[in-house]
Amino acid sequence: MTRLALERVSFWYPATDGPTLRDVSLEVAAGEVVALVGSGGAGASTLLLVAGDLAPRVVGGKLEGRVHFEGRGKGKERRGIVLPTPWTQVSGMAFTVWDEVAFGPANLGWPRDEIARHVDRALERLGSAELRARDPATLSGGELQRVIIAGILAMDPALLLLDEPAAELDPAGARDVWRLVRALANEGRAVLVATSDLDALPELADRVVWLERGRVMDAGPPSLLASEALCAAQLGTRVAGVWRAAGLSTPYPATVADAVRRWKEVMGR
Amino acid sequence: MEGSDGTLTTALRLDGVSFAYGALPALSGVSFALAAGERVALLGRNGAGKSTVARLVTGLLRPAAGTVSLGGWDTRDRTPDALARSGRVGSVFQHADEQLFARTLEDDVSFGPRAAGLPERDVRRRVAAALAALELEPLAREHPYDLPPALRKLAALAGALALEPALLVLDEPTAALDRALSARVTRALLERAAGGVALLVITHDLTFAAEALERGLVLDRGRLACDEPLAALLGSAARLEPLGLALPPVAALSAALDLPGRPVRAADAARALARVAGGRPAP
Repeated sequence: MTRLALERVSFWYPATDGPTLRDVSLEVAAGEVVALVGSGGAGASTLLLVAGDLAPRVVGGKLEGRVHFEGRGKGKERRGIVLPTPWTQVSGMAFTVWDEVAFGPANLGWPRDEIARHVDRALERLGSAELRARDPATLSGGELQRVIIAGILAMDPALLLLDEPAAELDPAGARDVWRLVRALANEGRAVLVATSDLDALPELADRVVWLERGRVMDAGPPSLLASEALCAAQLGTRVAGVWRAAGLSTPYPATVADAVRRWKEVMGR
Repeated sequence: MEGSDGTLTTALRLDGVSFAYGALPALSGVSFALAAGERVALLGRNGAGKSTVARLVTGLLRPAAGTVSLGGWDTRDRTPDALARSGRVGSVFQHADEQLFARTLEDDVSFGPRAAGLPERDVRRRVAAALAALELEPLAREHPYDLPPALRKLAALAGALALEPALLVLDEPTAALDRALSARVTRALLERAAGGVALLVITHDLTFAAEALERGLVLDRGRLACDEPLAALLGSAARLEPLGLALPPVAALSAALDLPGRPVRAADAARALARVAGGRPAP
């Protein structure tokens, strides 16, 4: 079922003339990972703020069109957003990582044992259980990013909105977070993610939406990341880019596995 | 600077450096040196000690044991400000884009050279060169906070370039940049290195490292686990995995297709691919 639907959405920040989003329509279903790709300033972060009911409600500005969020029924209609700046998302009111992760669930008024269960599970899924007694102020960027994601996950959201959730992580940590995001979708959550880690998307995303200057230019399966248009816009995967730069024929492979198959065809073996 | 011996000059030298945050050890017995014009990646897991090295090198921290010397100066004897003003080191830490404060981008980039007491004519020349290197001239009169975060990140880098230091220390200069901006950073850094600037770049972005840098230092739990050419290191999954790193996509492609020379840079891989597909024997 559709969890999030944007219908012809345009959005203007306060005191700006031009819209940051222009006539954007988009759906994200339960169980699905939809990835937003685009060059800087394309509007992906703004789209996530709109989808998370932060724009215009919190940041101000003007919205046209319709944003519809469908939760999971009573008490389960939550959507959680992970901002690209984890250090701005710390509550500042917790002395331990455990309390930090519990901050959201506690505000939902859950019983103590339910809070504890969700917090322990979220920390464990982010590989951060050993940080539980640390002061959040002493965490490294990568550690903090995982703790913030755990805090959102602990609230058991039906829709996850993720803005560059792996930007602070080392390659192994990024890979783990992408696997977790895929697993969260597989258990029925809907995920909308903005990322510049294009090479992670073929294994992560069900659909890719290409934004440019606030407009949806194209949308489709991750093989879109091997299309001529995306490669020309420097938004293709690295493998597709190398193939294209070598002057080899289309279709370009999106992944190493695709390349191995295509290479056999090219070499006639 | 140091090299009156006529060989490559040494921009930075760490000798047996250890450091701890209270009872928490961060670095132990780390030694390496950077020559002028060397392009070095500082790699490793979150928490391996990379940022601690950056703080030691810029003089923000003093080593508990061992010495850090910058162009012949022991950091123990100087303030971070004096090190920066001497032109020995310039740095951009993560999230430096949040520290822009002037009314225009140009003023912001001018702040460092002006504070270093340079004549206004030199300040203007350096600022113009720094803005040009990152293709930011069209934005010179913009207010920094009217720019998207990615361009603010470039602005912070321009501020460090304008100081024209002998050593640039950068922490994650391409994190969350799109590929076009990442390529701009690469071009600017290659240009500065060609002019003799040594680069010490903390990065998780191994694709960027492959394109822009030549030598890899890997920290593992506070120790230097590896110091070798990136072309060799980035091509070996078996070496990278235990260090929390992973084969970057171009290296993975080279390995999977068994491309001659196992290139790790995109342009080299494309050339190798074209050559093999064209049926010409590899040289």
